[in-house]
Parts: sequence; C-alpha cells; structure tokens
Amino acid sequence: MPDQVVAASSLCVKLAQNDVIDNLNFTIGRGEVFALLGGNGAGKSTTLKTFLGAVSPSSGTASVMGLSVDADINTIRSKVAYLPESVMLYGHLTGIENIEYFLSLAGIKQAQPEIEEALTKVSLQTDAWHKNLSHYSKGMRQKTAIALALLREAPVLLLDEPTSGLDPRAIDEFNQLITTLANSGSTIFMVTHDVYGACQVAHRIGLLDKGKIVGMFERKNNAHIDIEEVHAAFSQGKIK
Amino acid sequence: MNATKQIMLDEWRYWQRTKLATTVIFIGVVLTLASVVVNTIEVRQAADERKHFQQVSESRFLEQPDRHPHRMVHYGHYVFRAPSPLSMIEPGVDAYTGTSIFLEGHRQNSATFADQRQSSGLTRFSSLSPAFLMQVLVPLLMILVGYACITREKEAGTLNIMLTQGVKKREVLTGKFLALVGSGLLVLLPLALASIWASVTGESIIVTTGFVVGYFLYILIWGAIVLWVSTFSSRKNTSFASLICLWIALCILIPRISSSTAASIVPSPGKLEADFAVLEELRKLGDGHNASDPAFNQLKANLLAKHNVNDIADLPVNFRGVVAEYSEEKLTKVLNQFAEIRMQEEVSQAEIARHFGWLSPTVSIRTFSMMMAGTNLETHHRFLREAEALRYEFIQSLNHVHQHKLDYHTDINRYRDDVVARVDAGNWNILSSFSFEPQPGMARLHQSLLYSLQLLFWCIVTLLLIKRASRRMEQ
Repeated sequence: MPDQVVAASSLCVKLAQNDVIDNLNFTIGRGEVFALLGGNGAGKSTTLKTFLGAVSPSSGTASVMGLSVDADINTIRSKVAYLPESVMLYGHLTGIENIEYFLSLAGIKQAQPEIEEALTKVSLQTDAWHKNLSHYSKGMRQKTAIALALLREAPVLLLDEPTSGLDPRAIDEFNQLITTLANSGSTIFMVTHDVYGACQVAHRIGLLDKGKIVGMFERKNNAHIDIEEVHAAFSQGKIK
Repeated sequence: MNATKQIMLDEWRYWQRTKLATTVIFIGVVLTLASVVVNTIEVRQAADERKHFQQVSESRFLEQPDRHPHRMVHYGHYVFRAPSPLSMIEPGVDAYTGTSIFLEGHRQNSATFADQRQSSGLTRFSSLSPAFLMQVLVPLLMILVGYACITREKEAGTLNIMLTQGVKKREVLTGKFLALVGSGLLVLLPLALASIWASVTGESIIVTTGFVVGYFLYILIWGAIVLWVSTFSSRKNTSFASLICLWIALCILIPRISSSTAASIVPSPGKLEADFAVLEELRKLGDGHNASDPAFNQLKANLLAKHNVNDIADLPVNFRGVVAEYSEEKLTKVLNQFAEIRMQEEVSQAEIARHFGWLSPTVSIRTFSMMMAGTNLETHHRFLREAEALRYEFIQSLNHVHQHKLDYHTDINRYRDDVVARVDAGNWNILSSFSFEPQPGMARLHQSLLYSLQLLFWCIVTLLLIKRASRRMEQ
C-alpha cells in the first residue's frame, strides 16, 4: 500500500494504572481498509479513541496524515469521519437536517441536491430523508453518517464496531459501501469483533489481544482474507 | 464563532422540538412576568396608600382642637415608609419588618425587634416575589432545561461526531453555555423591563442597571454550574441528580444555615426578654407624669435654685412640662440605647450570614439585590432611626409647649370643672413632615461592592470548573 495515512508506533495507553494498549505498531495506507479484530476488552475501542484524541497515549505515537494526536488533534479531527458503535446522530432532526447541521459545524455549506446525491449513493431510501432520525434503524443511521463523511470528503474513516446490530442485508450493503469508499481513496480504520465482516471488507486484519497485536493477516492476490485462517487464530486461543 | 452559533441554535431547536424545555422556559417567563405585574401593582398601590395616609395622619394631627399638650403627646402620629421603586422586584426585609410606626410619648412602637432569621431559607417560599423566582426557581428551571446538554451528546455519541467535524471543545461548551444563558435571560426579561419602569418612576439608573447586571451574573453562574456538571458527568441521570443536590445545597440549605449560624454566633434575646430589660431600666427613671416622683427631686432643686424661688408654683415655667421634657429625654436615651444594641446585633447577624455568599451564589445575589433595591436591614434601621428622631422632636416640642403655654396652676387644677387646661390648636404646628428617601444610587452601589465581588468570584470559579471538566469531556 502507498503512503502511511494512519500510524501507531510503539503506542501504549494506560487507564487507571492498567496497560490497555501495549506497544502497538501498525500503519494504514491510502485507500486501505484495516480492521483491528479482537474480543471484549482487547483494547480495540481505546485504540480508536486514541486516534480521536479522547484518550492520551502514555508513550509512543499515534498519527493521522503525519500529524501527531498529541500535538494536532484539532486538525486530525477535521480530517477524519468517525462512526461510533451506535450511531445516534440527532433524533429530533431529519436525516437531511442532521447532515446540514454537522456540515455547518465543519464550516461546509452544501446545497440540498448534493446532500440528496450523497444519501442516494449510500442507498438510504428517499422516503426516510425528511423523517426524524428517531424513526431510523441502526443501518439507516449508519448510512446517514457515511453520507456525511462523503460530503465532508473526509480522507480517513474511523469505524467502531460498524456492523454490530445490523441485519445481514444491511451488513452486505455496508461492506459494499466501505469497499466503494476505499476504492475512491478513503482510508478506513475499523475495530470489530465480526470476523466474517472483517474478512469480507478489510485489506489487512490485525488480531488484538490484551492491547497487543498477536497476529496479522492480509489479502493475497486480491482475494478476501481467508476466514478459516483467522478463525483458527481464535480457536488456537490467540483471541479470547 | 460560526460553530459556536450553530451549536447554540441547535440547542434551542432541540428544546423547541422536544417541548419539555420550551414548556419549562415558558412557565418561567410567565411566572416571572405575572409576579412582576402583580408586585408592581401592589407596590404602586402601597406607595399611593402610604403617601395618602402620611398626609392624612399629618393633617389630622394639625386639625386637633385646643387641648392639653400632653394629650397630644399620647394622641401621637403615624409615619409610613414609602416602598422603594425596586421593592416591586425585591421586597427584601420589608415583608417581615412592617412599614409604619405609631409615634407617641414615652414609647418606641415599632417592628424594631423583628427576627431577621425569618427572611431566609424555606420560609421565603411563601412569597413569590420576582427576586425570589430569580434567586431560587430560575436555577431550577435552568437545571431542568440544561442538565443533559453535554451528557446527552456523550450518551448518543454525537459529541465525538461533533468534534470530528473540526469543532473545538471550547466551541461546543461556549455554544451550549450561550444557549443555557439565553434561556435564563428570557426569564430575566420581565425583571429587566420592571427595572426600566423603576428608573422611569424615579429610581437611579445606576442602581437599576447594577441590579439587572447582578442578576445577569447570577444567570451566568448557574449556566456555568449546569454546564460544568453536565460536562463532568458521564450519564444524564448522574448529571440531573448532582445538579438537584447542588441546587438544594446552594439555594435552600446554605442560606438557611447562614442565618442559623449567624443567630448562634450572635445570640439575641427574644422580644419579651428585651422588653422586660427595657422596663427594668425605665423604672429607675421615675414616672414623667408625676412631678412629685422622688426621681425628679434633684431637677426640682436645681430649677428652684436657678430661678431663685422657693416653690415650683413660682417658677416662670410649668414644672410639670419640665418634668415631662426631662423624663422624655432620659427615657429616650435608654430606649435608644437598647434599640441600638438590638440593631447592632441584627446587623452583626446579617453580616455573618452575608459571608456565606462565598459558599453560595444565592446568598450573594440575595444580599446584593436587597442592598441595591434599598430593602436591606440597614435601610430599615435608618427608617427606624429617622422615625425615632421625628418622634423625639415633636414630643419634646409638645413638652416645650406644655412648659411655656400652660401655667402650672391651671395644669394642676385641670380636673376641676371650672378650669380649662388647654392650649391653642395653633401650637400643634410643630410637626415636621416625614418623607423617607432611599439612599443615593452611588451609596447603594458602594455598599453592595463586596457582594458584587462575591458574584464575580462565583463567575470565575464556575468558569474555571468548566475549563477543568472539559478535559474529561470526551471520556
């Protein structure tokens, strides 16, 4: 993969005197989908929060587009789009109003046709556009958030358990969307415990256990990562 | 700045669409407006009535027919304290101390011994003055409106989404803070309008401006407290529970504790106890109605020697009038001495209670508000002193008439049918008209300086707390 967009170098994070992240090293290139796979308490979400500046590294560095989270977190935040595990956005606003509001926070003024185009691109049904988000399913909220990322032209997407709670059809749609975004040059860093989904969409998968990467898998010859191989890592006890 | 404005506007939009917050704000505005209107009408009526009764009382005194001067001493006179223009917002101690005094000889009839402890804490729930609404209920309304302003974003995960739009934490906090303060300002609006009205009806503009600025600072403080707790808490429920606890502590408990502490540190005797002590001292002075009382033997001897006569009947003045004047002077000294001790105790209690303003912004604004409105304890004491000065002046003037306009022989035979012991009604023209004026604006501003510093202290402390809490905002 080309130039490093997201990088962790000897990254350590301590929370309440416990080593949650322990000497983490990885890089993600432009247009790459990197999935950090791990069980509960492995440190996946903490890793993601470190790149958002919500958690400070105790040592080592975390950087996005060459900018360190310690020094340039505000610039980094303006370049990433973040999808939390449960994308809520604002229930009192419609899908379009949500997008308009968050774009205005980013200092972007988009005309409604562009917003509608983005919502079409993420396959959000048109009859939902003007409904309050409180009536949306999780998949629909996720699509709205991705449409927002598209309109912001954020070069980096940070996804926290993106397929958790989605039905199989929504997972397929989401995976297709992620692949399309990556093909258009977006860098995608996702943390998940969904082995199947990660193998479907990621170029590389890092297996995380107790804050350490204990295994790394990558696509060979453009084929999906072998789910059997990754699954074997779980069954061998590498992932708990 | 644009992001701050967007966040503020969105908070308002959220309140509007979720209805609860707008209902709370609406109730707050209506309640304050109704309270301002009702109190304005009441104070206006009270001012007119007291002015009218003051005139009636003065003219009735002057219209009294020819009489014995000592009967006029006991006929007495009323003085009324006209309400200050801002008392329609802040009645202060007026509601507990009374505003009229019956002035007569040998007595200080007044509410001098009113208990200052009654003016704070839960007992104030009985009066819904605009000041009380602003001091106690508006913080509660702001809590209901804003307790979840940050925790809601945390729980929904929208805070991180906001931050990843490039918005700074400072902008999020400022936007939410402005929205919250805006809700408080809406409730403050009727009070500000009433203050403008007070300026129109004669109150100093410096005072009304300072008064509104004080309440503005109070809203800033509560906006900051609500935002701080919401930023600090990770859950809406925690934020709400913490804020309610803080409200109870700052608005109810500390004001109550402040007065109880003051009363324990500076204990003051009850009214009965104080009255008995006064009576004990007065007994030593002799009865001014009885010129033969041994207490006045020395006075009689001095007077006889001075005029070189052997009998009081030969004196060029009415000895009974002299005794009345002498007795009134001695008696007033004793009464004033007790009254001053009592007032000093009340002021000491009030000053101790006011120091609790460093622990509760509600105590600070309450003191500041009463000082600026001229409804504080010191103003009430000034009214008592001015009324007493008037009482002493007209009683002694009547005693002077007694000495010089009614001869002793007629006086001692006043109960005989053929004797008319009266003086001409023209002698009643000794009464000065009474008009209690509020202190000048600058003087009130100067008096309330310490309490405006307390409010500024709270502003700084709460803003520093927000800054500190913002560090763990995303966790």
